[in-house]
Amino acid sequence: MSLHVENLSFRIGSFRLGPLDLAVEEGEAFVVLGPPGSGKTLLLECICGLLRPESGRIRISGKDVTAVPPGKRGIGYVPQDYALFPHLTVEGNILFGLGRRGGRDREARRKALETAGLLGIEGLLGRDVRGLSGGERQRVALARALARRPGILLLDEPVSALDEATREKVLGELRDLQRALGFTMVYVCHNLEEAFGVAHRAGLMGGGRFLQVGTMGDLLRRPRSLFAARFMRCENILAGEASPLPGGEESLFRAEGLELLFAGKREGPLQVALRPEELEILPAGAEREDRRGGVLLEARVTRVEDRGGYEKLELATAGPRLSAHISRETRRKVLGEGAPLREGGVPVRVWVRAGAVLPLDGVE
Amino acid sequence: MERHEAPAVGGLESRFFTATIFLFLFLFLGAGVLLLSADVLYVDMPAVKTVFSDPNILHALWLSLWTSTAAVAISLLFALPMGYALSRYSFPGRILADTMVDLPIVFPPLVAGLTLLVFFSQTALGRWIESTGLTFVFQPRGIVLCQVLVSASYAIRTVKAAFDEIDPRLEKVALTLGSGRWGAFFRVALPLARNGILAGGILTWARAFGIFGPLMIFVGSFRGRTEVLPTTVFLEQSIGHLEVALAVSLLLIAVAGGALLAIRLLTGKALFR
Repeated sequence: MSLHVENLSFRIGSFRLGPLDLAVEEGEAFVVLGPPGSGKTLLLECICGLLRPESGRIRISGKDVTAVPPGKRGIGYVPQDYALFPHLTVEGNILFGLGRRGGRDREARRKALETAGLLGIEGLLGRDVRGLSGGERQRVALARALARRPGILLLDEPVSALDEATREKVLGELRDLQRALGFTMVYVCHNLEEAFGVAHRAGLMGGGRFLQVGTMGDLLRRPRSLFAARFMRCENILAGEASPLPGGEESLFRAEGLELLFAGKREGPLQVALRPEELEILPAGAEREDRRGGVLLEARVTRVEDRGGYEKLELATAGPRLSAHISRETRRKVLGEGAPLREGGVPVRVWVRAGAVLPLDGVE
Repeated sequence: MERHEAPAVGGLESRFFTATIFLFLFLFLGAGVLLLSADVLYVDMPAVKTVFSDPNILHALWLSLWTSTAAVAISLLFALPMGYALSRYSFPGRILADTMVDLPIVFPPLVAGLTLLVFFSQTALGRWIESTGLTFVFQPRGIVLCQVLVSASYAIRTVKAAFDEIDPRLEKVALTLGSGRWGAFFRVALPLARNGILAGGILTWARAFGIFGPLMIFVGSFRGRTEVLPTTVFLEQSIGHLEVALAVSLLLIAVAGGALLAIRLLTGKALFR
C-alpha cells in the first residue's frame, strides 16, 4: 500500500503540525527523523486516525481515508513503549486485533501462531506480558500489529528503549519482516544509527514540518539548513561572508582568518557546514599535485580522541577551530603511532574540497 | 516510586525522628482500640443473641443489605460513564462537574434527606412522581435513593481514579486494532479498571450501609418497614437497650472494617495515595 499525506495540519495548544505533505511508496521504509517535540508522533497519530487533522487529506493506495476510523485503514501501529495490554497474555495481545472471539476462533489462533513464529516468540504465548524483557515486549507489540497483516506499519521509536545489541538485532529482523511481508513502513525516531539501519528515504522534521526529505546519505552529506546540519551531527558549522569568484561557478567563504571555496554563487553573510569526515589531513609541508577545486589549510592538531571506529581530531586553524574524523591509518601516518601531542599541537595541512563546504539556508 | 524506603544510615537524631512519628501513630490507634474495647466489654451474650434473633433487627439487617446493594448497582451505573468522562475528556464546565461530584462527600448527610423530602413534597415534579405510585417518602425505596445520593460520589471518585491509572494509549492501540470506542472501553479500559471499580463498589456499599441522618428525615424510623441497622442503634438506645445498640454498632463496625480491608487488598496502595 502507498501512503500520501497532502497539506495536512493539526493544532494542539500552541503547537502546529504542518501544513505538510508526505509520499511513501508501496514497500518503502520511510523514516521520520527529528528531535523530541518536532511533531513526529502527532503525524503518526494523524496518519493512523487517532487524531483528526484540522485540514488536509490522507490517501492510502489512492483512497481517501481521512474520515475512515483507525481500525479500518489497514494500518498497524506500534506506539512508543509498545502499550501492551497488561491484562492479557502474550497470545491475548496478538489475538486482540483478530476479532472479538479471540482464542475461540481457530483461524485467528492459527494467524496469531504464525505471526508469533515470524517473530520467534512462539514460546512466549502463554506468558504474562508484565514479566517480559524489553526485546520480548517489542516483538510482542510488532506481532500484535502485524497479526492483521496491515499494508502499512507505523512504528514510533520502536527500539529506543532497548540496549544497543538488542536494537541492532531487532532492526535486522524488522528489515527481514518487511521483505517477507511486503508492508510499507513509516518509522519515527531521533537516532541517526537507527535511521540508517532501516530507511530507504527519510524526512527531517522540525517545528511540525518536514525541513528536508531524501535518502539518509542526502541528509547527511547535503544538509540544506542549519537545523539539518546540527541534527545530522555536522560538527563544523562556520559563520562568515561569501563572495562569488569570477566565472560564477565557485564562491569564496571567509570566516575570521579562514578562507574556503565552495560550489555555487553566493554573496553576503552565510553559514556553511563542513562534515568532519570530509576533511583530508596531510602531514605538515605536504603538497597536492592539483590544488584546484579546494583549499589547503595550515592547522595544528591540538587534541586526539580515540572514538573506537575512528579518531577525532581538534584542529586550530587561522580562523575557527575545526573537527576532523580520520582513520587510524591516517593518524599513524600524520601523527605517529600513539605519540603524545607536543605542547601547542602538531602542525598538519588540511585539504578542504569545495564540494565538502555546504552552504546552509538562513543565517542564525 | 516505592513509598517504603530502606532506612538510611542515621544516628540518635534519626531514631528520635522515627520515635516521634510512631508515637502519634500509636496514640491515635491506641485511642481507637481503647474505645472499641469499651464497646466490646459492655456487650453481653444475650444482647448478641437478640441481634441475631429479634425479627425487627433481622428485618433491619436484611433491609440494610439489599438497599445498600441496590444503591451500589445504581451508583456504579452512573459512576462508570461519569468516572470515564471526568478522567478522559476535557469539556466546558468540567471543573464544576468535578466539584459537584464531591459535594455529597462534604455536606452533612442530613441535608441530603432534607433536600429529597423538599423535592418530593414541595415541588411539582416531585409530587407528580409520588402521585404515579412510585413513592419514595417513608418507603424502603426512599432508603435506596438516600443512599445513592450520599454515597454515589465515592463510587464516581474511585472509578475515575481507576481510569486515571490506565494509560489512554492502550485504548488508542485498541482502536488501531479494529476496536470501536465501545470495544476499546469494554475490552481494555473496563477490565483494567476492574479492581478500582470493585473497590468503589465496596466503598459505596459500606457508606450506604452506615447512613442514618438523611433516612430519619426522608423515610423515618418505622420498625419493620424503614428501619435499617443504624436506625436500630438509635431505636434500641432510645428505649434503654444499650447492650443491643452496642452489639448492632459492633456489627456495623465489623462490616465497615471488612469492606475497607477488602478495598486495600484489591487496590493496593493506589486508592489512598
